[in-house]
Amino acid sequence: MAIYETIFILDSLLPPKEIDAAIERFSNIITQNGGKVRKVDKWGKRRLAYEIQKKQYGFYGSIEFEGVGNIPKELESEYNFNDKVLRYLTYRYDKRKLKAMAMEKEEQAVTSSAPTTPAPEAKPTPAPAVEEPVKETVTETPAEEPQAPETKNEEQN
Amino acid sequence: MLKFRRKRVCSFCQEGVVYIDFKDEKKLLKYLTEQGKIIPRHTSGTCAKHQRQLATAIKRARHLALIPFVADFTR
Repeated sequence: MAIYETIFILDSLLPPKEIDAAIERFSNIITQNGGKVRKVDKWGKRRLAYEIQKKQYGFYGSIEFEGVGNIPKELESEYNFNDKVLRYLTYRYDKRKLKAMAMEKEEQAVTSSAPTTPAPEAKPTPAPAVEEPVKETVTETPAEEPQAPETKNEEQN
Repeated sequence: MLKFRRKRVCSFCQEGVVYIDFKDEKKLLKYLTEQGKIIPRHTSGTCAKHQRQLATAIKRARHLALIPFVADFTR
């Protein structure tokens, strides 16, 4: 099974209830066709880079799902049938995206496993210890860095 | 006279980018001209691998009205 993501732009003038209903309908289509919804994300109302159907604003939403090839087709027919959908894009995660996701997971696993694996008792103590040095480095670096590299770049250009 | 041209390095390779996300329109705007055209490889210095990925990302972002096809100056 492949992972897909579908992004749609709805009419921003729709009441919030109807937006939720529409998202529900899309996820129903996915589950009815043997798919599995992984993540539903509402980006919210955004200004469009160009007018679509004489509208300047749109409500963006996205659904990440797992499934087989017939689901994007079903979604497409629903999108075309629904007048409130201004634009849509359904795409399959390619190997690069999957690789990036795997790398993210690994990073999270490394950061999250460090405090959990040693022992449940040691939990409270390592957590602050990890946080403190990070804060320090963050505060220290900007004070030193910005001046030196920026001036260099300007000279080169 | 020919100006000395510094060898440009792909910024994606330098940062070690695996996947160029089309949802991040601010990053994509760096690789567009004022008009909204894709900056060619010989100007931006992007490597072929990343330029191909970048092109699809930009096209997807355009379709979703995240970045303009053609920038309009009438405002």
